[in-house]
Amino acid sequence: MTYARRAWIILWKDLLIERRAKEHANALLFFCVLLLFLFQFALGPDRDRLAAAVPGLLWLGFILAGLLGLGRSFLGERENDCWEGLRLTPGDKSAIYLGKLAGNCVLMTAVEIILVVLFGVFYDVDLWTPAAPLALVLALGTIGLAAVGTLFAAMTTQVRARELLFPVLLLPVQVPVLLATVSATQALLLGQPLADVAHWLKLLAGADLVYVTIGLLTFEFVLEG
Amino acid sequence: MTRALGWLTVLGLVAGLAAGFGYAPREAVQGNVQRIMYLHVPSVLTAYLAFVLVLLGSIGYLATRRAGWDRLAAAAGEIGVLFTGLTIVSGSIWGKPTWGTWWTWDARLTSTAVLFCVYVGYLLLRSLIEDPEARARYAAVVGIVGAVNIPIVHFSVKWWRALHQPSTILGPERSPIDPAIGLALFVNWVAFTLLFAYFLSRRMEIARLEEQT
Amino acid sequence: MPSNWGYVFAAYGIAAVALLSYWRHLARRTRALTRPRPAAKTRAA
Repeated sequence: MTYARRAWIILWKDLLIERRAKEHANALLFFCVLLLFLFQFALGPDRDRLAAAVPGLLWLGFILAGLLGLGRSFLGERENDCWEGLRLTPGDKSAIYLGKLAGNCVLMTAVEIILVVLFGVFYDVDLWTPAAPLALVLALGTIGLAAVGTLFAAMTTQVRARELLFPVLLLPVQVPVLLATVSATQALLLGQPLADVAHWLKLLAGADLVYVTIGLLTFEFVLEG
Repeated sequence: MTRALGWLTVLGLVAGLAAGFGYAPREAVQGNVQRIMYLHVPSVLTAYLAFVLVLLGSIGYLATRRAGWDRLAAAAGEIGVLFTGLTIVSGSIWGKPTWGTWWTWDARLTSTAVLFCVYVGYLLLRSLIEDPEARARYAAVVGIVGAVNIPIVHFSVKWWRALHQPSTILGPERSPIDPAIGLALFVNWVAFTLLFAYFLSRRMEIARLEEQT
Repeated sequence: MPSNWGYVFAAYGIAAVALLSYWRHLARRTRALTRPRPAAKTRAA
């Protein structure tokens, strides 16, 4: 069985489980709606203040949703005693990481689309005009978040206080991604061309490459035991 | 051996204090507050040294599975957090009379704060896993991610800062030009490195003893 | 330019306290582990 096929099987399995059970998707969707309220109430009725904060709030929303969604990446395997099955898979274990990463990216992208739409509607922000470059920033940021998130999720699934440890480990590492994506998003929403944020995009691309590479190289060590 | 290192460290620290307070001149613009730099800069350099060693220990452990590498990573991580904390506190105290506030989101302080959080998380992870083998493995992965992330954090924070505020002409980031200041800085840096080596040696010994119980 | 020695001493003072405390912490743990009788239950490293 080829490497790509093994990764694909993991992705397909997770998507199938999600489609049948729908627990994750519904809860996360509702969580996004709640975030909308949370941010509005935290910042007060001033429309301009909210509009100015949108880039940060958008990514804050992604990260909060990401912490919930990513942290549970391997919970299914853990709770259903499938961890051994993962461990005993023949061949390169990093295929599992890739499959899980792809699944998480799909999940995160769904959340992002929902949040972007909700923000556009409820906060009266024009997210349609810069849609294409914004999508690029979203994609790069998502990969960065999911790459480290998937790796750490595999680790913390087996540790005490996992709900606390996962964010504590993930958030400091994600600071560069957050800074880059928020800065780039802010520039794009102000109407600046993509060329102006090229350095941020390069940083994100570089960081993504580093994170995914480390994930691929070290996942087998996380999977043991 | 560690004893000798300990005494050498004391010597170094005394020399460092003498250099910082006696030999180095009063800085023209900031006054005596600038002397905190002899504490602040060696602290951050030592912290970086520590985290490089965490990286080495982490890679070494995953490559060889020998516990010695993990002991290195654990010890270096703990001491690194200590010196990072010192860097932040000294930087903050330096900032108050210089810039008027206890905290500014300038590039170095922000990066250092992020560094601090990363490695506190590292220590937290270690404290939550009892099985030594799993602990070493997981810590190694986090140690590698954390260390490799340092330059990425550095650049992102630097560019982020450039967006929001022009870099201050004065302030701790400016490199010293006066050779006397440079020498005092060097002496203190050597002293701190010796102190780090001494702490590392003792902390690794403790880890080794703990494994035997 | 005011003298600001207070800040300097505060910074060095805190550093001294922190480093000395850590040194004592190391010394205590070493003593506990090298006592001839089995030592008290130690925390994980």
